[in-house]
Amino acid sequence: MPDVSNRIRRAKPLLGTFVEIEAAGPVRSVVNQAIDAAFEAVATVHRLMSFHAADSDVSRLNREAFDRPVMVHDWTFGVLEASVALHRQSNGIFDIATAPILQTLALLPRFDDDAPVDERTYDAVELLEGQMVRFRQRHVKIDLGGIAKGFAVDQALNVLRGAGRIDSGLVNAGGDLAAFGADCQLVDIRHPREPSRIVGQVKVSNEALASTARRFDLFRSGQTTGSAIIGPGRLPPTNGIDGVTVRAASCMIADALTKIAMISGADSAGLLERYRASALLINADGDVQISPDWQYAVYLAA
Amino acid sequence: MTEWIRYTLPAAAIAAATSPAYAMQYLSIEEAQKQAFPSASHFTELQAGRVWKAEAGGRAVGFFIFDRVVGKHLYIDYAVALTPAGAVHSVEILQYRESYGGEVRSPGWLGQFAGKTSASPLKVNSDIRNIAGATLSSLHVTEGVKKVLATYAGRLK
Repeated sequence: MPDVSNRIRRAKPLLGTFVEIEAAGPVRSVVNQAIDAAFEAVATVHRLMSFHAADSDVSRLNREAFDRPVMVHDWTFGVLEASVALHRQSNGIFDIATAPILQTLALLPRFDDDAPVDERTYDAVELLEGQMVRFRQRHVKIDLGGIAKGFAVDQALNVLRGAGRIDSGLVNAGGDLAAFGADCQLVDIRHPREPSRIVGQVKVSNEALASTARRFDLFRSGQTTGSAIIGPGRLPPTNGIDGVTVRAASCMIADALTKIAMISGADSAGLLERYRASALLINADGDVQISPDWQYAVYLAA
Repeated sequence: MTEWIRYTLPAAAIAAATSPAYAMQYLSIEEAQKQAFPSASHFTELQAGRVWKAEAGGRAVGFFIFDRVVGKHLYIDYAVALTPAGAVHSVEILQYRESYGGEVRSPGWLGQFAGKTSASPLKVNSDIRNIAGATLSSLHVTEGVKKVLATYAGRLK
């Protein structure tokens, strides 16, 4: 029989947010080593997929992938494969090639040699044999900010799961989280308009949860500002949805689906079903909509 | 097509929800020191409660600096481990508190975390809350680490 379980929770600043990793197991030093390795996986995703770092896979693609195919790390390639599939399945609503628009809106930094680009592209990223990637149009720039955080959570959780002598684990990257093990985690869902209030709690067990909302900056004020999510036609979504939480088996898929649900609202039901995901939509009028297969795990504030 | 289940949250019910002020104790200073420098046999305090030299076999293997960033709503204790040459070896968040307005001073809120030390392992599932729905910027910590580097790197021996 195992001794008393050692449960350790640590946090590091990564991916532009605080990444929390918790693990439990019979041997404290083993738990700490597994958490270190899991943080290392998150740091690797950060290095590969940062829009800001000049030597990341994403930056190399943005500089060169129209002129010639560029080889990327298999993790980057995996995220691009999922992104292309989601792009097609959502008829272009999920789009990693919106970086120039986000730059125009000052949501991403502009580099000196970047031409201002306005047009929106469809299917701009071509995936080739041997982890090679090519852009079909000039001036295409990708940003994996809508999916890479979820992928990092999945990778970190895989490290914990594969470490041996770890009974349970949780990785939370600023609200995108995933858990494994016998424990059931309760997660508070903030009200996107009033972050000091919670809408309710969600039970999470051996699955992933991702949330997105209109932006608010806790350092400056509790008030929401515009959304960092750009719908078709370059505009922030105007469907009256303030925030979205999605449950799926993989955090990468949950992360990406929050962006689609934020734009498509209730119309995202079919796509959610195809990815075996569920969602909770928080409407601006205070109403909450929940996928029917997920009610059992959601406790609303009463 | 799937039908969504719709709920209306009365404004009063939302207002009555538990005050979600959060605090999280991660590693203690001692635990973070061991984690950053597993080979160190001794930590010499160079500046009270703030700077330590990690030593192994009489040689410095690095430095450990405790710092705190204070924002409007966030109070974050963190530690930067430096190599003997003064480069960042690791950054670890030690404690995180978030509050809105006066909630941080409410005894009920503080009581939720009283007695939680490294010696009494947290029962995370019941005591400590997971947060979703907001991406907190880690910018202040990143700026703090730069400040720590500017203050200490190259000056510690």
